[in-house]
Amino acid sequence: MTILAILLPLALLISCGFVAAYLWATSKGQYDDLETPAHRIFLEDELERTKR
Amino acid sequence: MVVTYSRSKPHSKLETAFCTHCGKEVLDRVDIRETSPVFCCLGCKTVYQFLQSSGLSRFYQLKQNNDRQIQPGGGDAIEYRYLDDSVFREKYARGLEDPQIDFFVEGVHCAACIWLIEKLPEIVPDVKEAKLDLGKSVASIKVAPGGSFAKAAEKLAWLGYRPHPIESDEKASELQNAENRSWLMRIGVAAACSGNIMLLAVALYAGLAGDLARYFRYLSLALFLPVLFYSAAPFYKNAIASLRSRTLSIDVPVILAIVLGAVVSAFNLRNETDHIYFDSISALVFLLLSSRYVLRRIQQRNLGGSHLYHFLLPSKAKRLDVKAAAIVEVNTAALLPGDLVEVGPGDVIPVDGTVQSGTSAINSSLLTGESSPHRVCPGSQVYSGTLNESDVLQIKVTALGRQTRLGRILKQIEEGGLKKAPIVIAADRVSKWFLAAVFVGAAIVFGLGADFSDGINRALALIIVTCPCALALATPLAMSLSLKKAARAGILINGAEILEKVARVKNVVLDKTGTLTYGKFEVLEWKETSHLHREIADIVVALEEQSKHPVAKSLVQFLKTRGSGTSLPVASFKEEIGVGVSGLVNGQFYEVRSLKEIDRTNTASVGTRIGVYCETKLIATALLGDKIRVDAKTTIDELNRFRLNSFILSGDDPEVVRNVGETIGIATNRHFSVATPEYKSRFVKNHEPCLMAGDGANDALALSSAYVGVAVHGSMDVSLRAADVYIAHPGVRYIEKLVVISKETMSLIHRNFAFSLAYNLVGGVTAASGHMTPLLAALLMPVSAFTVFGSTLIGTRKLREALRERGGK
Repeated sequence: MTILAILLPLALLISCGFVAAYLWATSKGQYDDLETPAHRIFLEDELERTKR
Repeated sequence: MVVTYSRSKPHSKLETAFCTHCGKEVLDRVDIRETSPVFCCLGCKTVYQFLQSSGLSRFYQLKQNNDRQIQPGGGDAIEYRYLDDSVFREKYARGLEDPQIDFFVEGVHCAACIWLIEKLPEIVPDVKEAKLDLGKSVASIKVAPGGSFAKAAEKLAWLGYRPHPIESDEKASELQNAENRSWLMRIGVAAACSGNIMLLAVALYAGLAGDLARYFRYLSLALFLPVLFYSAAPFYKNAIASLRSRTLSIDVPVILAIVLGAVVSAFNLRNETDHIYFDSISALVFLLLSSRYVLRRIQQRNLGGSHLYHFLLPSKAKRLDVKAAAIVEVNTAALLPGDLVEVGPGDVIPVDGTVQSGTSAINSSLLTGESSPHRVCPGSQVYSGTLNESDVLQIKVTALGRQTRLGRILKQIEEGGLKKAPIVIAADRVSKWFLAAVFVGAAIVFGLGADFSDGINRALALIIVTCPCALALATPLAMSLSLKKAARAGILINGAEILEKVARVKNVVLDKTGTLTYGKFEVLEWKETSHLHREIADIVVALEEQSKHPVAKSLVQFLKTRGSGTSLPVASFKEEIGVGVSGLVNGQFYEVRSLKEIDRTNTASVGTRIGVYCETKLIATALLGDKIRVDAKTTIDELNRFRLNSFILSGDDPEVVRNVGETIGIATNRHFSVATPEYKSRFVKNHEPCLMAGDGANDALALSSAYVGVAVHGSMDVSLRAADVYIAHPGVRYIEKLVVISKETMSLIHRNFAFSLAYNLVGGVTAASGHMTPLLAALLMPVSAFTVFGSTLIGTRKLREALRERGGK
């Protein structure tokens, strides 16, 4: 079970990476408007097609 | 299928149709088998054809047919030319390379709207980007350098989304965004840490012992520190602030629980004893932070994004160009302090300013409630929103938009949305006493404890387990959520207090004209009695287009979309006042006139009967009048179901009122006709607690004296100001919804109260008597808070479903 002594900090390190990613996304304004993108997802491919 | 039909009359083949473009009910009766698009007006038809021809017909697939209405407005390039004015741009536009202006757009509500607005770059040259924030109804338009905003705005207006430029207030919105982001970060950190601590705690609960257990405990301490010092920071700030002002806020026991729990846990960690609460405390912080954040966002939504004054003030003003000595019609937003504005008689003054020349009478009832006009002369101060009654005035602008007196009043109204309802104030007061009682109780329990450790355990359990959440947090949450849901549905309620009042209403008084009826002279019935004349519609249009009589106008508007659209030449046209028109079309003599006495079958009917005669033979009849709204009867039925007494109160003739009342199912003894404004006001006062709904200026007095005043769509400014609730939809259906919202919200709050009381009583007694460890208490606290919040969220969600279901056509 002594392997846990290494595995646990490793696991926490990975989770730190995710927390960091979340903090970065939040600070970039990813979560400022939660409503419009939810509707926009239906339209995106249409926009792509017209661009081509 | 393109056209939707109401299912109100399942047995008849002829059904009410809804406009393919805007979804408004079309007065025409259409055969259900017919699937071609129908339109309520030429504007809708034009927009439809434009969208079809530009390959944008997908709009109609994205749009739900029974959705709210979009009305294509006029709007010409000249009206929006000011957007390209350099002075204006300086004030409103941001970004140097590609200038951008934010517009508040009316009427956006669904995916189709986003789609159409964001297609703007394809429709209008120069527009580089268009983005819509649906929640705020704000469209950000970016144009190429040197590009024209006017063209983009004109197109938006033409599509039915009237744009109003918003002064860019980057600092305020940036600040708000930054704060929201920091809250989100704190929540994220708390979630990650508490989740990991819980994983570690599972092993400990399962009976882990020895060195590994110690290792696990120290790891959870390490994970707990970010929660204690970073995530919980707002609670420290609030608790200190409240202690400074010598009051007890809910944050004080929260902080006490967090700090006390942390200290006891750390102490036990050192002494190698079992009681460690890091997992519970971090979960508590996470849950509290989340619920606070939700509350915060809701309040921001209610406060921000409200642009009431766009609806109250005229959008156009006549600016006097001194150099060119000419009058230019401009948008009100384009005016600057120091400009000279001309206001004609009957116009609403768009700005605050001083009179330069001219004398007139001003009606300031919008601002002061006083309905008798007062005189102004050069030098007098005039305010925006007031009505110029008699003569032309020239006004020098001193303040505009939000800086005007009206703007400030409206700001107060918007902030009034956060005004506390009596029940919230009561909850606040109770929760303060509650907290004080808990502290005193904890001190006594501590004193009575067997030893130090037992005493501190009991006291801690008591402080942690008792939680005034339902009182202090869930009540305002329920209120704001309901207000928001209502606002989304188009019911603007002026504060939580009003919501509480609506639930107590016993009588509902409805104005007739414009509220129960459409308030317009319209064709109610059109019958072609002869099938030999295929072009009847075109012939009538050709004849009536020559006349200016209201009957003629209604007929033309009604028949234009029914005919083939070919204009027929009319020869020897004659109009006989009070009778009708006649002329030769295609060589035959046609008459459109009031129905001849011999053709009348039903004399008691209300309205004007018109007959179309070809060579004195009756070929078609029409009935014109003020149509009763389709939703009036069902609304009255629903109100009856709530045991509310409905009354009709109208200034109209007894016969008309009786006809409307009988049709919609209001008993004859509850019809009141020929009512003056003063009578209406007295009437509602005598029928307290009463809800009064109306739209006309003559309702304003009654609306302000009623227990709850509701101004319906299309209301006059005056009644809008007097009302507590504004319904942004035509029709009375939403009055019933208002009642539903209010009743549901109040029962939700009472439910939360009952739950909270029971929980605190049981929990408090158990903790004080030593039957509860602080650990169990800490587990229960978030659970109880969660239950109350959950019940609030689910309760208001149900509300939305109820709104949607009832809202469907």
